[in-house]
Amino acid sequence: MLINKITLLGHKDHGKSTLLGSLLMATKSVTEQRIEEAKKASKQLHRQFEPGYILDSFAEERENEMTIDTTRAQIKYKDAAFEFIDVPGHEELIKNMISGASYANFAVLLISAKSDEGIRDQTKRHLFLAKLLGIQKVIIAVNKMDTIDYDKKEFSRISKELSAFLGKIGFSESGIYFVPMSAYANENLVKKSGKMGWYKGGSLLETMYSFAKNPGLKSDNKLRVVLQGRMESESGEKIVGKVISGTLKSGIKVNVVPGAAYTVKELFVKGKKSNSARRGENIAITLNKKLSGEVRGRVLCGSGDAIKASDSLNALVFFTTKSIKRPRIRFNGLEVNADMTIENSVSVVTGEIKSERKITELGAANVRLKLGDKIPSESFDETPELGRFVLYDGNDFAGIGTVK
Amino acid sequence: MIKQDLNELEERSIFIMREAKSKFKNVAALWSMGKDSTTMLALARKAFLGKVPFPVIHIDNSIDFPETYAFREYLTKKWNLDLIVVKSEIKPEMSGFSCCGANKTVALKKLMKERGFDALIVSIRRDEHGIRAKERYVSPRDVNFKWDYKNQRAELWDDYASKSDIKGHVRVHPLLDWNELSVWEYIKKEKIPINPLYYSRNGNRYRSLGCTHCSSPHKSNAKNINDIINELETTRSEERAGREQDKEKSYVMAKLRSLGYM
Repeated sequence: MLINKITLLGHKDHGKSTLLGSLLMATKSVTEQRIEEAKKASKQLHRQFEPGYILDSFAEERENEMTIDTTRAQIKYKDAAFEFIDVPGHEELIKNMISGASYANFAVLLISAKSDEGIRDQTKRHLFLAKLLGIQKVIIAVNKMDTIDYDKKEFSRISKELSAFLGKIGFSESGIYFVPMSAYANENLVKKSGKMGWYKGGSLLETMYSFAKNPGLKSDNKLRVVLQGRMESESGEKIVGKVISGTLKSGIKVNVVPGAAYTVKELFVKGKKSNSARRGENIAITLNKKLSGEVRGRVLCGSGDAIKASDSLNALVFFTTKSIKRPRIRFNGLEVNADMTIENSVSVVTGEIKSERKITELGAANVRLKLGDKIPSESFDETPELGRFVLYDGNDFAGIGTVK
Repeated sequence: MIKQDLNELEERSIFIMREAKSKFKNVAALWSMGKDSTTMLALARKAFLGKVPFPVIHIDNSIDFPETYAFREYLTKKWNLDLIVVKSEIKPEMSGFSCCGANKTVALKKLMKERGFDALIVSIRRDEHGIRAKERYVSPRDVNFKWDYKNQRAELWDDYASKSDIKGHVRVHPLLDWNELSVWEYIKKEKIPINPLYYSRNGNRYRSLGCTHCSSPHKSNAKNINDIINELETTRSEERAGREQDKEKSYVMAKLRSLGYM
């Protein structure tokens, strides 16, 4: 079964771990030992048992009542399976949030409807990052509805404000869904709530289920294989890589970028000789003639369909640091030095472009990168795997970016 | 337990092992002769077209089960493995933290230093323990084997740790996404040889295997792989319930792992 990976986003204290713990218990997806251990830990900490403790494994997480690093939990509903990636909601832990959310197929953003909580900068920042990471579908779960008497007006206000923001940062209307609920009072979590007659949609879990049934993945036929390196085997040297789109076939003509035209002589998939390899499969090949030089980071394309290798990129970047002295990008197995020029800044809380040309920590900018080497790439919209990179300052993580 | 997509899991494991081999000079793997690390070897044979291209290490405290030793000899020969056996000291009163921590880790440290391994493949899985769920596919350890779990590196878009990110070595976790059920389904599908202790004898079987001091069997009549798969599809108890080091204290595992335990 393919498991739908969902990242659970939102500001700290808006109830992510609690929601997840409740869902795990309600769908009987967690072992009794895990619940017992969480209860015991609550006792040791002299706190009342809280479903979120089931997930928070580090001593520090329970003591400080927040998730520090990504947690994963799997649940089953009807004939679908979900893996929740609970990411930290705390600003300082954004690199853990990015790591966790990068594996998601879609997002659930939890936002508290409680009068003194509501939409925060962090809420919007998370949505901005979700978009940058390539997530196209998001459920906005408006939580703690019990604290405002299940009032439709507040729900509509939040929906309206966030819809406008989501549209501005590039989400399409069909990819957004709003669900009012209360994790604490168990309303509209699994079963449809009787307390919100004005709400016509399904419960949170039902909405997730409908997303799972209509993933809306774009099918891509262009052949792209990212090469990983050379490999020694008992039957001689092979070139290894991963098919990221299209189908690779034994005997076909291909273009290696940068490089020339070759014919695929032998193809191995899962350790065996094969006639074809599809998206997601790791391959080992031999070519009709020698491929010289470094293999890693080169891209194999179909005949007559070569992508460009360039030392200059335009990109949208999110920064996790205040300044960057030695920009480097890590890109399909390559680590390349870069000169970075900021064209303008992008506000992650309004989506607006500002003329100032500086790095803002936890902010974004449109940049131009001049690379120390020519590397093959495509725009993120065209082929996500060939249009995204991790930004480093020397040896330190500094952000992520997507190619325009 | 949720049925996962075996094809997707297999491909990710192959990718991770090839990345490790391509980015690090001196790769080795831990092999306990248990189901997970044996599955990892089967995956390595696929990734590298028939041969496991790195040494496999057994940290032997001399108190593993006789069946485990017999299985080690059998598979080493069958798959032509480059086996390294490291003896670690054991005292009768040792168990859990002192045993797995001090004992196994000290022996491993010594070996890693002697042989200069810079990447160690370890077959842990996220669903085994809450702490293991926090791991990265490629996870740096410092020169003292410490895991800085409070400050883990960002890991996304197939960008795993490389030489420039580490001061000591990396742990490579190709099986991180697999759950227990998937491992057994894969063993069945691929006909992977397995240690007989996992099958029920006299109404008991081992679900998780350590040494004779810290593993205890659970009640089960699962006599073959199909029985085990059926048992796992319905169970609500934890895989490592029979393992000492996990239950002594809620945080023992966190402590063990931060000090270099697998």
